[in-house]
Amino acid sequence: MITLNNIEKVYQTSTIETLALNNINIDIKKGEFVSIMGPSGCGKSTLLNIMGLLDEPTKGDILIDQKHVEQYTDKALASLRNQKIGFIFQSFHLINDLSVLDNVEIPLLYRNSSAQFRREAAREALEKVGLSNRMKHFPNQLSGGQKQRVAIARAIVGKPDIILADEPTGNLDSAMGNEILNILLQLNAEGCTIVMVTHDESMAKKTHRLIRLFDGTQVY
Amino acid sequence: MIQHLIKLIWNRKGSHLLLIIEIWASFMVLFGVMSLVTFNLDNYRESLGFEYEQVWAIDLSRNQDTVQTAEKLAQVLQRIKAYPEVEKVSQMSSNSPFSFSQMNSSISRKKTSTLSDIYYTDENFEDVFDIKMKSGRWYQSSDSVAKNKPVVINQKTADALFGTENPIGKTLDDNKVVVGVIDNFKAKGEFTKNEPAFFQLMWPRSEEGKIVLKLKSGTDANFEAKLVKDLGSMLVGWTVEVSYLTDQRQNQHNLALVPMIVFTIIAGFLLLNVAMGLFGILKVNIAKRREEIGVRRAMGATETDIQKQFVAEMWVIATFAILVGLLFAVQFPTLKVFDLASGVYWVAIVLAILIIYGLVTICAFYPSRQAAKIQPAIVLHES
Repeated sequence: MITLNNIEKVYQTSTIETLALNNINIDIKKGEFVSIMGPSGCGKSTLLNIMGLLDEPTKGDILIDQKHVEQYTDKALASLRNQKIGFIFQSFHLINDLSVLDNVEIPLLYRNSSAQFRREAAREALEKVGLSNRMKHFPNQLSGGQKQRVAIARAIVGKPDIILADEPTGNLDSAMGNEILNILLQLNAEGCTIVMVTHDESMAKKTHRLIRLFDGTQVY
Repeated sequence: MIQHLIKLIWNRKGSHLLLIIEIWASFMVLFGVMSLVTFNLDNYRESLGFEYEQVWAIDLSRNQDTVQTAEKLAQVLQRIKAYPEVEKVSQMSSNSPFSFSQMNSSISRKKTSTLSDIYYTDENFEDVFDIKMKSGRWYQSSDSVAKNKPVVINQKTADALFGTENPIGKTLDDNKVVVGVIDNFKAKGEFTKNEPAFFQLMWPRSEEGKIVLKLKSGTDANFEAKLVKDLGSMLVGWTVEVSYLTDQRQNQHNLALVPMIVFTIIAGFLLLNVAMGLFGILKVNIAKRREEIGVRRAMGATETDIQKQFVAEMWVIATFAILVGLLFAVQFPTLKVFDLASGVYWVAIVLAILIIYGLVTICAFYPSRQAAKIQPAIVLHES
């Protein structure tokens, strides 16, 4: 589903060159639930951004469904992100001036779908994460766990094949964290491929496979 | 998408209120300026109805002289006609074209009446100003003995008093008979409206008023000096003043142009202020909304989508302001305020809307482009 070959990422400023990722080779299979672990600053989020086509590697190949995407235009990459990938972030990244329902609709705004379809799909996604009673609320009226469930609804509203979750439980207490993990496990059981960055060993153990990074290098 | 943006702007209306008020104020000022400009340009497109090049007006004032003034005036007319430089001469009331003098009165026929500018002229007035008859004829000196005094009217007066009827030969309430109809007669210059006009034979010749003369081309100020000197020696104690109609026309134009220029400058400053405000607000907005931009890019927005979004948001804000402005602006054509044709106001509304949208688009373009270039991975990591 996602294949990374010899990925290298260097951040360069006028004075300093930082090697964020070095010789990363990963193959994520369809239906897998993979977790990525490693100490802070080891390149986990950078790796996830590269997988999610939000960032470009300095070297190496990215294949999504066996297709090289290095030469894709901005429009083609955006379309791929929109159709195939759902993102969940540690700090939720909800738009505070939009209601829960409107936040969830966002990925569908970038498709040619009718307002009615968007509304229905957003309701369905919110029902799936157990937030159908909070549709008219605004993000600042919700708890952290509820916000993350809204973010999950937003990630799944477009029925993507892959979900990339960057420390989705990082800002939550353990009960809320487990709730979110259960939702992700449920989505995976329904066929969604999930790659999750986490610091929590116990959560990583519940996934199919663990990738460890250290100083930008894949340990195993 | 538009629905989404309207919702977003509506939910942020508090922070956009000042901007909406500023755009509304600019719209209202622009509407005023555009109404003035449209009104003046509409008038300008209508012909004057007469020729003024090489026409001079001589203002004669008797002062204390009461001795044989009529004879003196007749001699002066004869003298002026005798100059080889002079093509045509006419005598008329003091309200010569482009002068700042006006005479008007209500002209009525049956139960209809119209306020009309009144001009007393002799039979040569038509020739001096090269006025084209639309129908009928100009009056002659021989008409002075007619039972019903002959008059010439312009089409505007004809429309008001006769509607679709042919006015030639018809009598007015004061027994004057219409012998001719001319088209426009805009005595206050191109920028003014074509008002109803009414011309009546000056008989007997008045000792007041003006002499208007058409000169051969190439006649210059030397002749003016000679003319004033000659007339001064013929009319001892009188005041003789010569004015060029081209200069007087320019003065009338200034009267119309100065307010237009002043209001345009005021509107220009206001628009500049709005433009700077818009530009600044957008820059701040984008800086505050980097996270949102990152999220939208992650969710599938292209650079173009982001750029379009910020421009469209400004359009939505402008639309809110314009809608409020329209509530006021549409009262003008509906109530026919200032007695202007409603078309003037509608054109002004359309122009003001186009200018506001144009301005908003220009101001939003560059900051939106910068927003589109934001790297999603960086901003999502920052926040």
